[in-house]
Amino acid sequence: MNMITLIVALPLLAAFLLPISDRALGSVSRFVGPIVLLMNIILIMTLWQKSEGAPFALALGGFRPPLGISFYVDQLALLFALLVSILALMLWPYKADTNPRVFGLMLLLTGAASGMALSGDLFNIYVFFELLSVASFGLVASLRTGAAFAATTRYLIISGFGTVMALTGVALIYTQTGTLNLAHLATLAPQQLDNATGLTAFALILLGIGVKAELFPVNTWVPEVYATASRRVSALMAGLVSKLAVLVIVRLMVLIFPQPEAMQLMLALGVAGVLIGELSAWRARDFVRMLSFSSIGQLGLVFVAFSIPGEAGILAGLAVALHHLLVKPALFLLAERWGGSLGRLEGAGRRSPLAAGLFVLFALSLVGVPPLPGFWAKLLTIVGLLGQAAPLYWFAAAVVLVATVAEVNYLFRFGLTLFKREEQSAQVHKPHARIDLGTVSVMGVVLLTAMFLIAPLGERMQTIADQTTDRGLYISTVLGPVGGAR
Amino acid sequence: MSDPELHWLLYGGAIGLIVIGAAGIVMGKHLFRIILALAIAEAGANLMLVVAGLRPDAVAPIITGGMIPEQMVDPVPQAMVLTAIVIGVGIQALVLSLAIRVYKAYGTLDMREIRLKMAADIDAEAGVDDEVSQEGPAGERPLELPDAVTSGGPGQ
Amino acid sequence: MRNLTSLLFAAGLAFFLLVIAARFDLGAAPMLVGDAILQEAPAETGAANIVTSVVLGYRGIDTLGEIAILFTASLAAGLVLGRRRPEASRDADSGAVLQISAQLLFPLLLVVGFYIILHGHLTPGGGFQGGVILAAAFFVPLLARPGTSVNHTGLSLVEGLAGAGFILIGLLALFQGKAFLQPLLDKGTLGMLVSAGTLPLLYLAVGLKVGAELAGLLANLADSEVDP
Repeated sequence: MNMITLIVALPLLAAFLLPISDRALGSVSRFVGPIVLLMNIILIMTLWQKSEGAPFALALGGFRPPLGISFYVDQLALLFALLVSILALMLWPYKADTNPRVFGLMLLLTGAASGMALSGDLFNIYVFFELLSVASFGLVASLRTGAAFAATTRYLIISGFGTVMALTGVALIYTQTGTLNLAHLATLAPQQLDNATGLTAFALILLGIGVKAELFPVNTWVPEVYATASRRVSALMAGLVSKLAVLVIVRLMVLIFPQPEAMQLMLALGVAGVLIGELSAWRARDFVRMLSFSSIGQLGLVFVAFSIPGEAGILAGLAVALHHLLVKPALFLLAERWGGSLGRLEGAGRRSPLAAGLFVLFALSLVGVPPLPGFWAKLLTIVGLLGQAAPLYWFAAAVVLVATVAEVNYLFRFGLTLFKREEQSAQVHKPHARIDLGTVSVMGVVLLTAMFLIAPLGERMQTIADQTTDRGLYISTVLGPVGGAR
Repeated sequence: MSDPELHWLLYGGAIGLIVIGAAGIVMGKHLFRIILALAIAEAGANLMLVVAGLRPDAVAPIITGGMIPEQMVDPVPQAMVLTAIVIGVGIQALVLSLAIRVYKAYGTLDMREIRLKMAADIDAEAGVDDEVSQEGPAGERPLELPDAVTSGGPGQ
Repeated sequence: MRNLTSLLFAAGLAFFLLVIAARFDLGAAPMLVGDAILQEAPAETGAANIVTSVVLGYRGIDTLGEIAILFTASLAAGLVLGRRRPEASRDADSGAVLQISAQLLFPLLLVVGFYIILHGHLTPGGGFQGGVILAAAFFVPLLARPGTSVNHTGLSLVEGLAGAGFILIGLLALFQGKAFLQPLLDKGTLGMLVSAGTLPLLYLAVGLKVGAELAGLLANLADSEVDP
């Protein structure tokens, strides 16, 4: 079981050695990254099978848990670690002229993301989060245009601001409790953190980590960065990086901050994100910016879903997050050749029917047309929201419905543009690269498979949600008789 | 100075640094000053972290000459601050190199101007202002900048 | 409007933090983990400097993450800045006094840097502090003579191998059936130079890595493309 640390150590090791191997072996080193990611995928699958879904904890360095750092490996952590490697492999920069440094940054990003999924220590999560951030800064700037540098600078400053807020939150928690281990904190939280200090610490950490999760009000970087970064990087940021930030917040919320006030804060910020994101997407005049704002709206929906108390919220949030994790990267890959204003795209769909068909499929799922998976995700959220007594939840349900109307409107408008009769002024767009279209097709197949297997998938996610909400299990796994250390 | 006073001074200093830095980041106009504000805020957060392990009459947690001191400060925040400082150094180096490139690209470090020029660049790349030029007769583009460029476009 | 919101935010932050700090029991840190580490660390790791035990032992993976962040920042800065064209003009070298004192300082700084790194488990200091001094040792001559070109290949070789060394020491324990980054080797006598098992080796890797990383970052900043 200790082997699970390899999924963090191997990408970092490969990234450290990449500049050397690039000099020595030349283009052979291009394959190092995908090979490491494949090894990660195999490793996670075998371990998942071996553990049979039971969570286990690791004491890193062999020091007993509250003193040393521990990793907590349950199904949620394994699921996200697996998705990190798979998505990074799908969105790997395969282009021949890619700067080798970009490969290193991708590997560092996956190592950090895997670490974030597994870690059970507050400060360790912060460190991996910073590693993820810095790697994403490099990737975002990698196109090296003036606009990309400016957008990255603004993104970095907002992130840096968030870092300071999160670190202050960590300091507050440490001052109150004197520990950083999440399981240990979970045992102390009811006495020590169920007060104004705890709530402020949560708000600060939410604000800090929320920068990556495109949380209102620290999401002003989103449209600029996604417009100036390469589409693959945008897809990775919107699909993967944001979800890992959400994962951390969910872990903290379940284990340490289960107060209703914390939930309501998240709900309010999520609702603001949904409103602003979807309305701005409705006003957007080009595809990439439409996708960026829609991503803000969807992430807002994720927060709204996770703020529903109890298991129902975790289930709904997980469904929305996983759905967005599949759909948004696919749409960003389609945008690779569909940049430019909407007016210029008239008739683009007629020239590449496969791409247009895939767009329609993903757009329908994003809106939530039954029987596509997006429908079930939205249904779970709205039912969960209406099941709550507080009026804020009812308001949130209304906002989600209004946002869906806006979503239908702009996606439908874009779809119509794609199939409009060609006009003479329409620009000739290059057809999609085969690798992009192939990747999107695979994602489409996954989406359709999920549609047919929705019942078993739902059961699977229910067990994951059960396990995630089980605080007692987390505490006893980490602090109890140190299981899994062997 | 008595201990409670010292503690108040340290906590107050940490909070002051964080607030000064945060205000500088959100209100700053000049990129380099914003970067400095970021460094100040980081220093505040680090100070807050290290004060968390302070207790009266305690010494550094190092055993010298086989003598174990009676009172030692908490070693964990010290290790965390070491980590946080190094992270801060890396990020500052990166943001400075970005600032160099931004200055070379846009010739200014004023955040408002950078933002306008960046928005214009993004709009131009996306071709959002195309609709304006298409209204003119063929082959004749309006000479003045389209509205979308001067007002910064819808991204504002 | 934006200024008003910012001002309100800053004032609110100050108010909240001060109110919270007022409730703290100042000076009575609840050192749940800290106290336990203070008691167990000397026996468990064999390092006289307990902060070092925490940095490399109890929180070793934090340190791995941290050197990875420094590596990432230097990688990204290199990507952003690009490499100077060889024919680009450079600043003129400084006078003889500065050049000679830079040459004199170089070996001294190297010795001090390595001393601080190798005694990291005994005295205040360690890989980070010593690494910064090593970086300074390489950068002072460069400041005195901006014309000299930087050996980027050597720097990237050192940074890559040192980082890999840190992980490999961790993996060695893993493949012996222990936990990742578990200290190996004999702990020795507390307070001796050769003690604390693999911790000094880890600190040496950290020191070399930090030194190469910072030198690389500075050299990148000094060596960036002159023209856009």
